[in-house]
Amino acid sequence: MKIITCIRPVPDPASRLVINESKTWIKDHDLSMVANEADNYALEEALRLKEKHGGEVIAISLGRASDAKLLRAAVAMGADRAIHLVDDKFRNTDEFAVADALAKAIHLDGGADVVLTGVQSDDLGSGATGVMLAELLGWAHATVVIAVDAEPEKGTLTVKRELEGGMAETAELPTPAVLTIQYGINQPRYASLKGIMAAKRKEFKVWNAAEIGWTDSDGSGRLTEIREIHIPEKKSQVEIISGTPEEAVTTLVEKLRKDAKVI
Amino acid sequence: MILALIEHSGGHAGNRITSNTNELLSFAQRIGRDSGIPVAAVVFGFNTSGLVEELKSRKLDRIIAVDDPELAEYSPDAYAFALKSLASAEPPYLVATMHSARGIDFMPRVAASLRHPFVGGCIDVERIGERLLLTRQIFNAKMNMKVEPRSGSPVFVTVSSGAFPGDNVELAETSAIETRPVDFSGLMKRRNVIAYSEAAKGQVDLSSAPIIVSGGRGLRQKENFTLIFDLAKALNAAVGASRPVVDAEWLPREYQIGSSGQTVAPKLYVAVGISGAVQHLVGIQGARCIVAINKDADAPIFKVARYGIVDDLFKVVPALTKLLNDLKSV
Repeated sequence: MKIITCIRPVPDPASRLVINESKTWIKDHDLSMVANEADNYALEEALRLKEKHGGEVIAISLGRASDAKLLRAAVAMGADRAIHLVDDKFRNTDEFAVADALAKAIHLDGGADVVLTGVQSDDLGSGATGVMLAELLGWAHATVVIAVDAEPEKGTLTVKRELEGGMAETAELPTPAVLTIQYGINQPRYASLKGIMAAKRKEFKVWNAAEIGWTDSDGSGRLTEIREIHIPEKKSQVEIISGTPEEAVTTLVEKLRKDAKVI
Repeated sequence: MILALIEHSGGHAGNRITSNTNELLSFAQRIGRDSGIPVAAVVFGFNTSGLVEELKSRKLDRIIAVDDPELAEYSPDAYAFALKSLASAEPPYLVATMHSARGIDFMPRVAASLRHPFVGGCIDVERIGERLLLTRQIFNAKMNMKVEPRSGSPVFVTVSSGAFPGDNVELAETSAIETRPVDFSGLMKRRNVIAYSEAAKGQVDLSSAPIIVSGGRGLRQKENFTLIFDLAKALNAAVGASRPVVDAEWLPREYQIGSSGQTVAPKLYVAVGISGAVQHLVGIQGARCIVAINKDADAPIFKVARYGIVDDLFKVVPALTKLLNDLKSV
């Protein structure tokens, strides 16, 4: 099986995010980027599929040249090669533009049997990119996947999807397909020293927008415009209830009944 | 037209509209009021008359039903096919559905297919003249982003749970009901459901629980979680937990509330011994009233709480449970 797994660079969760002057994004020039958390689960799932069924795992990422380290880490973990999409034109792309660039790059690489993404990103977080990618590739898809089983000779995948209310759905779909992988589906591995050494010899392609045929002027760029980023006002209106525990809970229950009217 | 595609439980759990339908309709009604554009609720399904009947009491300009055996079970292929067919017959101004496991599964496909804008997880909306600005959360709810669709109508939107209270829905008798035939002959159903199951046995549906009592690391050990279960029983509430509790295996994963667990929107959320990491707060921002019980007055949970008790939970929680039980027996 040819398995492609997508890695989105996102700011390190420990870093302080500052909004830029035009209020259209954060100041991310000096920010250290890490792999989007959900994408780590997708990478691990890709490696497990390969271990079970053979084939190759390709890690793909769209971002700045300095984010190449995330792809190198993926290759050290066991991916066979990497594709890095780097172009100034990719800055501040929306979900559609990212999906469009990924679709074009995947097409250029000769397609795949399965493409995996994390269920959502820690920056935009809409969970839409993988679904759009499936549409642009013309493939089947499944979202919020919590288990994957492949039958490569039949060309099918059996997936379990998480639904609301503690329900899950088992579904079958044909390959090629895009799956968005839920947090916690597996326990991502660490790169071994051997893996880190081997990574240096693996193929690392860098493609720009023109090379994959992605252009911003023919309507394949963003479909939404960011007008403003702001930090939501957290109106801290907490009413601290004092007294002994018995007094405090009596006041609390009174307020929950008469003021908040929630019990 | 503004199309609000409602969700229902169709197929496996009886045919009822889901509890978040009023949230979706209150979003659609708000844009309708601001723009003067008529609002239609759209039902996809098979044997939809019961669903249409349920919707009739909401103030709508139209109810549109697409009633077809192909829509008896949810299928992303069939939903995308039907929605594309509706959107091309009479291009709407905006198409909305909830930002749910279902909504996020098919809406981006339709938007990408038509190369129309998609805004996922909308929490606010404003019209400035003819312009439409939609607000959504980014960076795990640390920031909000206002976006404007770049190209023309329709724009496809998924609406975040808890952002548009269902209580705000306007009620009135709707009589304009229309059944729209869709020719499904070109439909390819690629993904097919084999079975439904419970992801975890015995789990309460936290996403629709009206009251939730949730415990965190402050409980110190697994055995102390009985305090949470006792309080939940006294309140007729469901039980939830923060991530550290689940990681420590005090409770199974399905109890976890937060960005990597469940998103909840109860009317009352009691957070016990939970400090309020951002990942947890993301999951409870739909809660109407949050009560925080925590020893640490600086815990971030107090920033989002309406009522707080800064004290030892091991004293406060038993007192609260006892009081509630006493009141019950009166």
